Amino acid sequence: MASPTPAKRLSLSEWVKTITFYEILVGMKATLWHLLNYKPITLQYPHEKRTLPDNYRGMLALLRYDDGTEKCVGCDLCEAACPSRVIRVVSAEVPGEPTKRYSKEYYMDMTRCLFCGMCVDACPVDALGMTREFEWAVYDKRQLHLNKQQLLAIGDRSFPIREKRLELQHPNVAFFNVPFKHVPPKPN
Amino acid sequence: MSEFGLRLAISLTQIAAVMGIVVITVLLLTLAERKVLGWMQDRMGPMEVGPYGILQPFADAIKLFFKEDIVPAGANKFLFTMAPVLCLIPAFIGFAVIPWGPNWTLEIGGITVKPFVISDINIGILYILAFASIGAYGIILGGWASNSKYSLLGGLRSAAQIISYELNVGLSIIGVVILTGSLSLVTITDAQAGWFWNWFIFALPAPQIFVFVVYVISSVAETNRVPFDLPEAESELVAGFFTEYSGLRFAFFFLAEYANMVLVSCVAAALFLGGWNAPYPGTILELLGMPSLAWVENTMWFAAKTYSLLFLFFWLRATLPRLRYDQLMKFGWKVLLPIALANIVVTSIAVFIAQHMK
Repeated sequence: MASPTPAKRLSLSEWVKTITFYEILVGMKATLWHLLNYKPITLQYPHEKRTLPDNYRGMLALLRYDDGTEKCVGCDLCEAACPSRVIRVVSAEVPGEPTKRYSKEYYMDMTRCLFCGMCVDACPVDALGMTREFEWAVYDKRQLHLNKQQLLAIGDRSFPIREKRLELQHPNVAFFNVPFKHVPPKPN
Repeated sequence: MSEFGLRLAISLTQIAAVMGIVVITVLLLTLAERKVLGWMQDRMGPMEVGPYGILQPFADAIKLFFKEDIVPAGANKFLFTMAPVLCLIPAFIGFAVIPWGPNWTLEIGGITVKPFVISDINIGILYILAFASIGAYGIILGGWASNSKYSLLGGLRSAAQIISYELNVGLSIIGVVILTGSLSLVTITDAQAGWFWNWFIFALPAPQIFVFVVYVISSVAETNRVPFDLPEAESELVAGFFTEYSGLRFAFFFLAEYANMVLVSCVAAALFLGGWNAPYPGTILELLGMPSLAWVENTMWFAAKTYSLLFLFFWLRATLPRLRYDQLMKFGWKVLLPIALANIVVTSIAVFIAQHMK
């Protein structure tokens, strides 16, 4: 605090500052100013929540087309892109249609996910999306091992407006999940 | 009822009243500290329990009551149990001699009673100092009996710190004692009646303002508060001497710390700031024709002085970082002690001259 060091000789003004606790009083003035001009910058979290930015990277979800079919074609690219090996895809042929494939099983171990969004970037059919959900605290971490049904459910509740199938889309509106209102839909 | 029984009943009533006020004050302080600290740091403080968090102290108390009482392996069970009690009792017992209202006497059933002080003993301030020293035993024994290195380090630091700074507290009080010629807190407070320049912090022939600063700094150090909170330095020693304590025993240490804060604030108010005396002669209620209610005003003045000092404790905590250990010792022995000693010399000479000038 105000203890002068013997090695350094203090000038008169420094002496006056030391014995009047000048620096401490400056600090105390600052804290008192904050007390009198009380404007809390914190939010009462469960009651008040911040507005999340548009590009927020939250919980991952599997998406569907507007007719309810899954977008995922089981190509495993998300599994290859994932740096922390969150995703496991078991791919299979669509029964009766030997040229088409789908993900028979799709697992995500969200305990390891670091929300980098590389799987979303890697997906060729935009079957993966990042929602704005972040309140995923659970009592048992096994509840964070999600299967395909759970991931589809997250997608259903987070993206109520779904995309049309690619072959039904206007060529100019092949844009992830955002219908352009001003562009007339392709007559079909 | 016999005289002894009546005396006992009156004393117990007074003790219950004072203890109740002190415990309520401590409850208030735990909330007020968190709130004031929060406001000073642009936070809100506790907000969840009750409107604006005002029921937080009760929630804390209930939580501490129901917590598991853990005794660490290898701890000295007897001393481990004794230490919180040893810490708590001296903190509360000091309030017995604090006058918190005017020096009136009442006649109840042929017994003379002073309603605003539990016991007006003629060594009041010595008694407080003596019991404050016993409080250090609680801290050291608690640190030693826990069988934990952090507790022991905290206890040792606390021992060194309390002994160094209690010396300054004792020496800074001597100036007031010289001015009054009495150790009784009632007499000391009575001597400061009248305008506020009669308070010993400003009073001629020897204003005690420097030594008041010494007293406040030393009492902050003695109660282990920031910036002198080395015995319980969170970032170094987990929690210092009460690292291993939990539940009610922890609550005792906690209560003792806050009760000590209230006690040193009361002593500072009584010694230097005129105690229950208003800053003007007499009381307003007396002028308004209600002399029997004048004690309310006096008590409020005492409370205001005490609470301002307690606010200073929070204010310092919100502002200052912790001292290094060598700085603490250097500051106590090389700065505060010479000021306190010089004050004794100056005050003695001034009082001597003033008495001869008359």
